[in-house]
Amino acid sequence: MTILWFLFKEGFKGLIRSKYSGAFSIIIIAISIMLVGFGYVIARDTLFMVENIRAQFDVDIFIKQTASRDDIAAFDAKLKKMNEINHLIYISPEEAAQKFKNEFGEDIFDILDYNPLPPSFTISFKPIYRNLISVEAIANILQSDPVVDELKYRKNFLIILEKYHRIILFTVLGIFAVLTLISIILTSNSIKMTIFARQDIISTMKLIGATNRFIKIPFVIEGTLEGGLGSLVAALIIYGMFYLQNTYFQSFFDYTAIVSYRFYIALLILGTFLGWIGSRRAIRKFLH
Amino acid sequence: MISFINANCTFRKNAGVKNLNFSIDDGEFVFLTGPSGAGKSTILRLIYMDLFPEKGKVLIRDFDSTRIRDREIPFLRRKVGMIFQDYQLLKDRNVYQNIALALYASHYKTREIKSRVYSILNQVGLGHRVHHRPMELSGGEQQRVAIARALVKEPIVLLADEPTGNLDPRVSIELINLLNKINKKGTAVIVATHNYSLIQRVPGARLIQINEGEIISIT
Ligand SMILES: Nc1ncnc2c1ncn2[C@@H]1O[C@H](COP(=O)(O)OP(=O)(O)OP(=O)(O)O)[C@@H](O)[C@H]1O
Ligand SMILES: [Mg+2]
Repeated sequence: MTILWFLFKEGFKGLIRSKYSGAFSIIIIAISIMLVGFGYVIARDTLFMVENIRAQFDVDIFIKQTASRDDIAAFDAKLKKMNEINHLIYISPEEAAQKFKNEFGEDIFDILDYNPLPPSFTISFKPIYRNLISVEAIANILQSDPVVDELKYRKNFLIILEKYHRIILFTVLGIFAVLTLISIILTSNSIKMTIFARQDIISTMKLIGATNRFIKIPFVIEGTLEGGLGSLVAALIIYGMFYLQNTYFQSFFDYTAIVSYRFYIALLILGTFLGWIGSRRAIRKFLH
Repeated sequence: MISFINANCTFRKNAGVKNLNFSIDDGEFVFLTGPSGAGKSTILRLIYMDLFPEKGKVLIRDFDSTRIRDREIPFLRRKVGMIFQDYQLLKDRNVYQNIALALYASHYKTREIKSRVYSILNQVGLGHRVHHRPMELSGGEQQRVAIARALVKEPIVLLADEPTGNLDPRVSIELINLLNKINKKGTAVIVATHNYSLIQRVPGARLIQINEGEIISIT
């Protein structure tokens, strides 16, 4: 008990004793965690945006004029059973005429004396099927149905999207990974510096009969505290910056940062963890 | 208690110690003398197992240099008190904390630590310097803090490497008297020094003379 309490106090005091190197470490950790935090939000929102664009992709299925009401109902049932389809809307000829009027401002019955617009379905796919291969395969199946007259979708849109989606995904994940790596390296190096500055303690402790564990624990506690404090600083700064953006700078830069409290907790956990693991790794180097 | 058996410990270019054979018993007072570079510090480092002989062995009570494991070394060092030439005090802690650290490292209880530290500080005459940091003390006072730290865990042997190196003659004599007093209470004392005048101050002390890494005379 005495020992644990002593080692704990030593860890706390170590943080104070280390003065500049401790403060420096906290700043470095704060910067690292900010990099990871911003990296995460940027990655998430970029991917979210791409996903939104992808979600806009849909297929129009035009039904033959000759199809009966029952044929259409049967086709509708068939579509609803298809796993790949996320969402579907039926547009009757009347609705199509209404849409035409809304879009072109002219009543189709004023031009022609009958309604040439066929009934149609607009379908969208579940995210994993929003790619060229799946879409073409599904389109082929649907095309072969006797009630179907024609299928229309923007093939080029899909091709471009597919190409850029991959590039964006890898870029964004790559940047995130690099930022995380940088933060791990920065954190463990800055902790190493604080320990390096006090090597005399380690050698003296060894000479007066301290076990490696006794020497290690205060440094690990200190490093963990530095990690926790650094990430707290980072979380506060990120919170402040998001707050400013969302309340004052919307008009300059059209972006709203939305993160839940879990994001901040994750940052605190990450920083504390990095401090813990970083100090463990660093102290090991000095003990042998 | 301490035995060197054909112990060799050499560094590059043949420097170091060779063919050491001697024993030291409980409660003895031993001077280790010889010119600079003779190998005095090397012998002390072999005793607290900071170095290991590449041939032969060193025995300290039950600890055998050829068998000891890394994690057993702290337990040996709790039984061996050491006073270094440069004291090795921690600059960012006061006298009390420097000494208490040795006890915490040996897993003493808080209450016991307190009474032991104060009693040892009174013994070395530093009762009035408890809250000073090493930098606020004279060389002789730092030396006594180092002695207090070495003694506080009641070691079986106290090793002092050139303890009077930085002290004036009067303080040196005080110091040697203090070591003598400690020895009278039963702790073995080994002092490495090239200051021969100290030797006459301790009647009955043994003398081990070394030169170029070898023992040239032993009493
Ligand atoms: N780490 C080392 N690497 C190489 N040579 C060493 C090392 N330590 C000591 N030596 C050499 O071993 C020899 C004995 O050194 P040691 O420090 O034991 O001498 P000493 O008797 O204590 O001298 P002094 O009175 O100057 O303290 C010297 O020649 C020294 O140069
Ligand atoms: Mg020496």
